[in-house]
Amino acid sequence: MGTILASRFQEWLVLSTLLFSVGMYGVLTRRNAVGILISLELALNAAALNFVVFNSLIAPSKVDGSVMAIFIIAVAAAEVVVAMAIFVSLYRHRRSLDVTGMNALKDR
Amino acid sequence: MIQTISNLLFYLFALITLFFAVVAVTSTRILRAAVALMMVLLGTSALYVILGAHFIAGIQVLVYVGGIVVLLVFAIMLTQTNELIELPCSTGRRIAALIGSGFFGLITCSVLLAEHFKVATPEKIVAADAAELGRSFLNYGPGGYAIPFEIISLLLLAAIIGGIVIANKLHPEEAK
Repeated sequence: MGTILASRFQEWLVLSTLLFSVGMYGVLTRRNAVGILISLELALNAAALNFVVFNSLIAPSKVDGSVMAIFIIAVAAAEVVVAMAIFVSLYRHRRSLDVTGMNALKDR
Repeated sequence: MIQTISNLLFYLFALITLFFAVVAVTSTRILRAAVALMMVLLGTSALYVILGAHFIAGIQVLVYVGGIVVLLVFAIMLTQTNELIELPCSTGRRIAALIGSGFFGLITCSVLLAEHFKVATPEKIVAADAAELGRSFLNYGPGGYAIPFEIISLLLLAAIIGGIVIANKLHPEEAK
């Protein structure tokens, strides 16, 4: 198992980079706030994957990368809770989650 | 033989993950995007299993797929955006985003491919031990993660209380 993994190391990194790029594209193009959150989750997931790849293939005797991946998952869970509360509250006030219309603080 | 199968599995799950990632960011229906996100997270957990990180794969399914995606679906239902079809953003913005994220991916990939990494020797690559992970979380000495672990639990508590407080507020007219 190890031989294959080691020879594919850079492909793992390219995969997580591509996942992050896709997430970045989503953050930039989505209009719905929930859609932006979904894209953000993609980017966070790519970062966690990168941590685990480095941990398993560069320093397999340590667990620091896995610890970071668990922290990323925990922070993502906390972030989604707060974001969902904000979206529900926002929807009550504005009846929409379109971020292009949210410019109440803009200097006119 | 095992090498071929392992290669095939890597490419299979990588392609599945990338395909559903693209669906998740381009689908005009938000609920469909959430389901695609769930497939991405499941694919990533399969990739963790290929890497030998079985414990992280389990956590990924439990917390991400079982918790975060369900929460997202609740958010979509509560805000009734599942019936709405999201209006696509302007073509100029889409092209700009494509150029931006494309160049980011291109530059990062070329740097990664040019770099020579000191990959561990194959016989040293073994599955990460969940017990070792637990010991690292409870280790308060140098190199341990006891304090970050406690801070994360405080962060989760703060997020729960904050979520309740923010979502509990009534509409200005309802409050009167």
